[in-house]
Amino acid sequence: MTTKSLHLRIGLAAVLGAAILALYAIPTFVFSPSNVNIIVLAPTFWPYVLSGITALVGLGLIATSFFSDLSGFDTEDTIELSEGPAPWLRLVALAVIMALIMFGLPRLGMVWTCMLAFVACAFLFRTRHPYMALVCAVVVPLLLYAFFAHVAGVAVPQGNFVRLP
Amino acid sequence: MSLMDSLAAGLSLVGNVEAFFMLFCGLVIGVIGGAIPGLSATMAVALTLPFTFSMTPINGILLLLGVYKGGIFGGSIPAILIKTPGTPASSATILDGHPMAERGEAGRALGMALYASCTADLMSNLALILFAGWLASFALSFGPPEFFALILFSLTIIAGVSGESLLRGALSALAGLLLATVGLDLVYGTNRFTFGDPNMMGGLNFIAVLIGLFAIPEIIAMAWNPVAHLGRTRALGKTRCTLADYWGSFKSIIRGSMIGVFLGSIPGIGAAPSAFLSYSEARRTSKNKENFGKGEIEGVAASEAGNNGVAGATLIPLLALGVPGDVITAIIIGAFMVHGLQPGPMMFIINVDIIYGLFIGLIVSSVFLLVVGSVAIRGFKYVADVPKRLLMPAVLVLCIYGVYAVNNNIFDVGVMFAMGWVGYLMMRNRIPAAPFLIAFILGPLLEDNFRQSMLMSGSDPSVLFRGPITWFFWLLTCVTVFAITRSTLRKKVPLS
Repeated sequence: MTTKSLHLRIGLAAVLGAAILALYAIPTFVFSPSNVNIIVLAPTFWPYVLSGITALVGLGLIATSFFSDLSGFDTEDTIELSEGPAPWLRLVALAVIMALIMFGLPRLGMVWTCMLAFVACAFLFRTRHPYMALVCAVVVPLLLYAFFAHVAGVAVPQGNFVRLP
Repeated sequence: MSLMDSLAAGLSLVGNVEAFFMLFCGLVIGVIGGAIPGLSATMAVALTLPFTFSMTPINGILLLLGVYKGGIFGGSIPAILIKTPGTPASSATILDGHPMAERGEAGRALGMALYASCTADLMSNLALILFAGWLASFALSFGPPEFFALILFSLTIIAGVSGESLLRGALSALAGLLLATVGLDLVYGTNRFTFGDPNMMGGLNFIAVLIGLFAIPEIIAMAWNPVAHLGRTRALGKTRCTLADYWGSFKSIIRGSMIGVFLGSIPGIGAAPSAFLSYSEARRTSKNKENFGKGEIEGVAASEAGNNGVAGATLIPLLALGVPGDVITAIIIGAFMVHGLQPGPMMFIINVDIIYGLFIGLIVSSVFLLVVGSVAIRGFKYVADVPKRLLMPAVLVLCIYGVYAVNNNIFDVGVMFAMGWVGYLMMRNRIPAAPFLIAFILGPLLEDNFRQSMLMSGSDPSVLFRGPITWFFWLLTCVTVFAITRSTLRKKVPLS
C-alpha cells in the first residue's frame, strides 16, 4: 500500500468517525443535565471538541494524500499480503479463540480456559515443539494460578466443573 | 526536611535485601525481555506490572524500574547478534554493532554496549536526582492553567515525534483522549459512553488498555506471520572490549549520555531519537567518521549511551510533574496509581521517603546492570533459543491473569482483547500507539485542569494564557508544531 492511499484511508476513517461521534454517539450516549449554565463545563463539551479536532486531522490527512509529495511504499505490507488467505484465516481463528476465552472464563474457570487457549494458540502459530507446548499449557497456567491465588490473594475464577485448591 | 533526612528516610525504605533483590530480579527480567526480539522492554514492563500488585510500593516500583533499565540494554544484544533490535531504541546500535558481529567482534561490540549503557545510565540517574527535586519545587507554583498548557505541550510533542508522522500521531492522541472520556463525568456525574454498563462507569481500566495496546498486538502479529522472528545468531567471537576501547569512545559516551538526559527529560521524545542523534553527533565529530556504518566501536558506544541516557531522565517529568516521559514511564505511573501514589510535585512533600528510596535504588541499578549485562551477553544463546511460538501463548495467558488481577473483573480481559485489536490495526496502519496510551492517561488530567481553569475565571479563556509559565508552554507547543512540520516537509516525507 502506498503512503498516499494509507493517508487517504485513515483520513476518511477519521472524518467518518468524527461525524458519527458528533451526530450520533455524543447526543445519544453522553448525558448532560439541562441546567448547565457554562457551556464549557457541560459533559458534552470535551467530546465535541475532540471530535471536531479529529475531523480536522482527518481532513489534513486527506489533504496530504492529494497535495503532498508522498511517494513511500509500505513494502513490508506488500510482502505480507502476498502470502494468500492463510494469514487472514489465522487472524480470524485467533479472534475466535479470544471470544471463546471470554465465554470460557466464567464457566470453565481461568486455569482450564488458559490451558486450552495455550494449546490452541501454540498450534495456530504452527509450533515445532508440540509436546513441549502441551507441557507448557499445563504448567504455565498452574504456576500463575499458584502465584495469583496464593501469593497475591486474587480470587481467580474457578468455574463450574473442577475446582483447584 | 533536609537532604540528609530525606536520604535517611529513603534508605530506611530500601535498606533491606528484599528491595535490592526486587531491583536485581527486575534487571534480569528486563534484560531477558529486551533480548528476545518481539518481546520489547515495554512489553516486559507491562507484563511485570501485575506481579507488583501484592508488593510494597517501593519494591514494586523498583522491580519495574529494573525491568525498564534492563530492557533498554537487553535490546542491544539481538540488535548486534541477529540484526533485530529487541527494542526500538536499539535500532541505531545495529548500524555498527551488527557489522562488528559479522567480522567476529560481537563480544567486543556487546562489551562496549554494556559499558556505555552503564555509564549513561549512571549519568542519567544523577541528572534525575539533581533536577527532579528542583523541577518539583518549581511546579508547586503551577495552577490548573499551567498544568493544562504543560499537558497540551506534552501531548503535542508525543504525537509529533512518536511515529513518522505528526498527523497520524495526533490522530492516535485524539483517540486516546476520546477513550479517556468514557465513564462518569467529573463535574456532573452523568454517564459518558457507558452504554448503561456499570463496568464502564469508572472508565476503562488503564492496565487493560496498556496491556491490550502493547502486548496483544504482538500475539496477533504472530498469528499473521508465525515465522517473522526467525533469524541467525552470530557468535560472540574472541575479541573483547578493552579499557583502551572504552577511553577511545569516552567522549562520545559522555556526549551521548548528555543528549539522552536532555531529550529524556522532555516528555514524549523517548530513547530512539536520542540514540540516533547521539550516533549522528559521534559520526560528525569522530576521527574515524568514514568507518561509521561499517563496524566502528565508537558508533556502538554513542548509540547505546544515547538510548540509556534517557532511562533515568524520563523519570524527571514523571516524578516532578506527574507527566510520563515515554510509554514505559506511562506504565510505571500505573504502578504508582495502583499503590495509591500520585506522581507530581506533591509527592516530593508527602512521599519523600519513596522518592529518595527510588533514587538510591536507581544508583544501585547501574552497578547491578553491569553484573547482569555481563552474564546476559554470554547467555544470550539460551534466550534466543526460547521458541517464540511457545512464548507468545504464554504471554497471552500471563496477560489474562494479569489484567484480571487488577480488579478481579473478567470485563477487563474483554477490554484488553478489544484494545489488542485496536493496537494491531494501528500497527498495520503505522499509527503510533504511544500517543494513544499517554493521551489516555493524561486525558482526564487535561480535561480536569481545563474545567478548573474555566471555573476559576468564570469561563474566560484568557486564563489559559495568564502568566509567563503558560506563555512558555504555549510557545513551546507552537515551536514544536512548527519544527516538526518543517522537518517533515524538508524530508519530503509525509507531512503527516
